[in-house]
Amino acid sequence: MARERPETLVPLAREVVRLRYWQLRLNEDLKQKRFAIPIHVAIGHEAIAVAVHAAMEPADQLVLTHRNVAYNMARAGALEPIDDEYALAPTGVCRGRLGSMNLANPARGVMYASSILGNNLAVACGLALGQQMQQRRGCVIVLTGDGAMEEGPFYEGLVFAQSHHLPLVILVENNNCSMSSTIEQRRCPIAIARLCEAVGMPFQPLQGNEVMAYAAALRTLCATARQGQPGCLEVTLTTFNQHAGPTPGWPTDPKRISLEDGLIVDRSANDPVFVVQQQLGVMRFDALAEDVMAQPPVETTVGG
Amino acid sequence: MASYLTVVNQLIASATARIPHAVLYGENINTGSHLCGMTRNLTVPPGGRIINVGNCEPTHCGVGFGLMLSGVTAVLFMKQLDFTVLGMDHLVSTYAVIRAHRRLESLGSFTICVIVCDQGFQGPQSSVNALGDFCSLARVPGYTLTNARDAAHVLDRQLTAPGFRLIALSQRLFPSECLPLEVVSAADDASLLQYTEGRDVTIACFNFSLPEGYRLHQKLLGCGLTSSLFSVNHVLPHRWERILQSAAQTQRVVVMDDSKSVNLLGYTLLHEVAAESPMAQRLMVARGADVDFGVCADRLSIDDEALIAHLTGSDRANALRDA
Repeated sequence: MARERPETLVPLAREVVRLRYWQLRLNEDLKQKRFAIPIHVAIGHEAIAVAVHAAMEPADQLVLTHRNVAYNMARAGALEPIDDEYALAPTGVCRGRLGSMNLANPARGVMYASSILGNNLAVACGLALGQQMQQRRGCVIVLTGDGAMEEGPFYEGLVFAQSHHLPLVILVENNNCSMSSTIEQRRCPIAIARLCEAVGMPFQPLQGNEVMAYAAALRTLCATARQGQPGCLEVTLTTFNQHAGPTPGWPTDPKRISLEDGLIVDRSANDPVFVVQQQLGVMRFDALAEDVMAQPPVETTVGG
Repeated sequence: MASYLTVVNQLIASATARIPHAVLYGENINTGSHLCGMTRNLTVPPGGRIINVGNCEPTHCGVGFGLMLSGVTAVLFMKQLDFTVLGMDHLVSTYAVIRAHRRLESLGSFTICVIVCDQGFQGPQSSVNALGDFCSLARVPGYTLTNARDAAHVLDRQLTAPGFRLIALSQRLFPSECLPLEVVSAADDASLLQYTEGRDVTIACFNFSLPEGYRLHQKLLGCGLTSSLFSVNHVLPHRWERILQSAAQTQRVVVMDDSKSVNLLGYTLLHEVAAESPMAQRLMVARGADVDFGVCADRLSIDDEALIAHLTGSDRANALRDA
């Protein structure tokens, strides 16, 4: 694992740690059954969420899936408006109108989120075409996953984006999980690289949860997309929590996550926070984590 | 007199040519037959685009909503209402998400102009003709174009309006002469148009049944009866006070609907007529429950003479009742 220069790593590392802390707090709230709505936590997705946030420029737009918590937290820059949205309060990001699975935040570029697998790719293509029409010079990043890419619209999206030179970056989160089925349990392997090659679209795989490397890769693909060449990224990651709701989800659930156990959930490269600790060193990491957890709530922009 | 297709195509081309920065897109819209002539001679002002796209209807529908979110005016042309089934996810779910948190006036405009292949003999996969079913499922506005008057009215008011709607053409009507109708009254949103004013019978036409309603109107004139002829071009439940007022006067109401839906909006109208004019004679002319799924003529068949006899209370009508 490469040691990053602290002065460049720390801002992104802080975001990774902050997203983890907020998600662990959210998980504790879910254990207390604070919310009436289903929420899909994304503990383990922090590095790519921070990288996307870091790569986005003002004109860029983001289109998400049902598991959008980490991205929405990163874009909002605060936990409270997200929490309020989940509580369906008027102070929520979308005034309590969208809840979790469809949570958007147009003021922060999060234009749309869908709980229907594959649905959001077409909408993202439309937004990217809108960028072209209005000469906004931004790009659209659309999130999808190893389950959603089984849907026909994934292939359609590749073809449409490439055919019309859309400023689009397709980001496939491969967590080897569709609800409770692994890829092996449900289908044959799909080589996205070859799918992309077949339509002439650049493809890049990402793994290792190194947030700076992720951000650099995204910046490159976004810059290319803004020039009219769409691209695709597949990031391999682990979702440590249950599909939806709290973890543990039931008394005998083998998955156990607790804020009391600290911010690191898994002491391996599968855990972006562990990776950050390795990059910063334990002492610097501990100081950063302490500082993040001591931060008061932050005011943020609420979308319309 | 020009054909329905010629007139509607000219109106579409004229209307879209005036939309600034529009995206007009669809499969084969500027090649070959131009979707059986629907999209012939399309132009856009500078800054707009006409895009001939590949064959991926679900994506086309989603793209329209993405453009709408961008504030762009988009018109998707589709060859068959049957194909729209592939994009229903977006019509229902995507638009629901958008409407849950965005004000309509903050959005661009997205319209699907679609041909209903109701000419018959197209086979079982060209059998959907009930625009209302789509609109009901998605809770979206939908408009049927049945003649030059309603086409002009709908296209003028809806093609650039914020939000989403379906506008449907009938392929059965393509070669026929445009009905020589003048508008007596029209709702501002083009949802309801009245073409004649009469004292004896009220005729309310749904989906693409206006030609049949107009034929009945003419035959009634031959019997010395005048009728008020309405076309309900809009599918969502709405205000139809003018039909109810007419029914209260004529005390005889005929509802026509050529769609193959099992949930006909016309029954709701008749229910309201019954509530307001309990003594009024109410007739529904629609397809039966048994729809032929094979290759067939696919047409609402009406025994005009029996219907007229029924309305006038003649012996033929009594025989029908006995049967």
